[in-house]
Amino acid sequence: MRENNKTDISLSSILQDSLYSSSSSPPPELSEEKVKQALLQRPSFTVKARLIIIFLIFFLISAGISITAMLMLSEINDRIAFVALADSFANEIQHVRRIEKNYFLYGSDLSEALPLLKTANTMLDKASQDLGHVVGTKELHDIHTQLHQYRQLIQILINKKNDSLFLSSQEFTTTAQQLRERGSAILLMSLDMSQKERQVISDMTKKARKVHIFLLVILLLLSFFIAFHIYRHIILRLQRLSHATERFANGDFLPITPTRKYKDEFSRLVIAMNHMMYELNRRQNLLVESHKLRAIGNLTAGIAHELNNPLNNIMLTSEVLKDNLKSLSDEELVDIAHDLVTQSERAQQVVKNLLDFARESETKTAYFQITAIIDETLQLAKNQIKLNNIQLEKEYEKGLPPIYGDRELLKQVFLNLIINAIDAMPDGGKLTIKVFQDKNTGFISIHVKDTGVGIPAHILGSIFNPFFTTKPTGKGTGLGLAVSRGIIVKHGGNIEVKSTVNEGATFIVHLPIVSIPAHEKDISHEE
Amino acid sequence: MSKQNLEICVIDDETVVCKRLQQALTKAGYTVETFTDSRKAIKRLDEKHFDIIVTDIRMDNIDGMEVLSHIRQQERNTKVILITGYATIEIAREAQVKGAYDFISKPFKPNELQQVIERAAKELVPHEGK
Repeated sequence: MRENNKTDISLSSILQDSLYSSSSSPPPELSEEKVKQALLQRPSFTVKARLIIIFLIFFLISAGISITAMLMLSEINDRIAFVALADSFANEIQHVRRIEKNYFLYGSDLSEALPLLKTANTMLDKASQDLGHVVGTKELHDIHTQLHQYRQLIQILINKKNDSLFLSSQEFTTTAQQLRERGSAILLMSLDMSQKERQVISDMTKKARKVHIFLLVILLLLSFFIAFHIYRHIILRLQRLSHATERFANGDFLPITPTRKYKDEFSRLVIAMNHMMYELNRRQNLLVESHKLRAIGNLTAGIAHELNNPLNNIMLTSEVLKDNLKSLSDEELVDIAHDLVTQSERAQQVVKNLLDFARESETKTAYFQITAIIDETLQLAKNQIKLNNIQLEKEYEKGLPPIYGDRELLKQVFLNLIINAIDAMPDGGKLTIKVFQDKNTGFISIHVKDTGVGIPAHILGSIFNPFFTTKPTGKGTGLGLAVSRGIIVKHGGNIEVKSTVNEGATFIVHLPIVSIPAHEKDISHEE
Repeated sequence: MSKQNLEICVIDDETVVCKRLQQALTKAGYTVETFTDSRKAIKRLDEKHFDIIVTDIRMDNIDGMEVLSHIRQQERNTKVILITGYATIEIAREAQVKGAYDFISKPFKPNELQQVIERAAKELVPHEGK
């Protein structure tokens, strides 16, 4: 993979790959393309589909509730109508019975009862036609039969009202008896039915109240479910994405990996963000490269000194050799030859040091002593320190554990910090480099302290931002600290600054002893 | 003033520079003393008058600019030639302000230095301090 993508995959992504290769999750090679594949391979279940399904369920349940309520209301309405009808019916029957009573007592005309019975019969027909399904047809049929017989009996009595033989016969007495019984039965039945229906209506109203409370509870639960669903699939997603952007902002460019079963609109957003992160990372690495060259530019004076001294020695020595070739003793010739060789080697070493720093070497991670890196960096900046009349003080704690990371990248960070410190002390000062292990965190702390002009409080917050610089145009790129922070974060550490104006500034780098970034365990919860 | 009478002090913490300038300038006929330690050189300068001082600017302990200031404070009839590993306008200006006769950048040839020394020698006030 390294070979193929040497041009696309930046130094730091290779670094990341190797940093994470020892852990089980996430997978060792988290290239943007692979993560994209993984994100897209999942079955699709979009947020849109989820919302449609949820609201459809919500609508169906609501509709069910409404229909049930409407049906119940309609039944109650029918029963109320029936009760009214039953009451009117009972009234009619009572009226007929009064006529019947008057007939037996005073011999009044019985035919007055006929239209009333007809009305009652019409009512009964109407009831069985419209409301039979509510009350039950059997009861209505019974009443109907009774009413029919009652009417026949009355008809017999009317027909034979002048038949004195019949009036005094046993048959009349039986008929009268039957008439009274039928009348009483019809009245009782109608009153009883009306009473029963009232009871049913009362029961139904109670039930309707219960059903409503029950439905309200269901709707409440459903609302909770919808809220939870929106929270889980939208708000939680957004929170995780915002967490991821913070991660990116801090220079951690690991892609967001899939954690859910389905892909949706957020998956597309995640793919876009991963691509953005990949581009950012690529550009950051270009910046690292260009800044490295810039840092070398800042060292020009020191490097010129460092190279000019051996060159001068070689020039003087060879001139002396040339001018005095014949007069020089063997001993002097040997000394001259020796000087030429050692001074050439010295120049060679300077060039080699420079190349070590500048060359586009493949990033290598290894275990090493951080103090060794700092000493190598100080070697590069040695002349600059001398030139600026700066006193150097080193306080290294003994027996520090090694750290794991990329030597060249870390060298670049410390070179930046040291050059910044030197620039902050144009009139000389003291540069203190302190390295010790923080007993609480287990991290190694590196303090780079100067006694320079210090950093005003209002810009302390911005100094790690890209392109922020206080140096004159052309001197600083404003990238040094941004790039440095990126490198340190990649090593799982962090960098902070403390400063008092006119007293100096202290940059503090914290590096873990084994550099597996602390956020790694969070990555599996991402997206 | 003949070359033999001209006393030159060379100060540079590079041993090779001292060695070779000693050889080259002695051969050219000057009287030369060299110092790799600028503190010892200052001590010697207090004891003895030199006509010309050739000093490197960047040195441990006392640097070339301080040597120059030290000489100027005593207002002696001494020309100071500075050697610098990396010439900048700032250094040139400072050298001029502090009263250096000239400055020369590394790497240089003994001949180039000799030419500067010869020019400086011509400007020396005869018999002063002798």
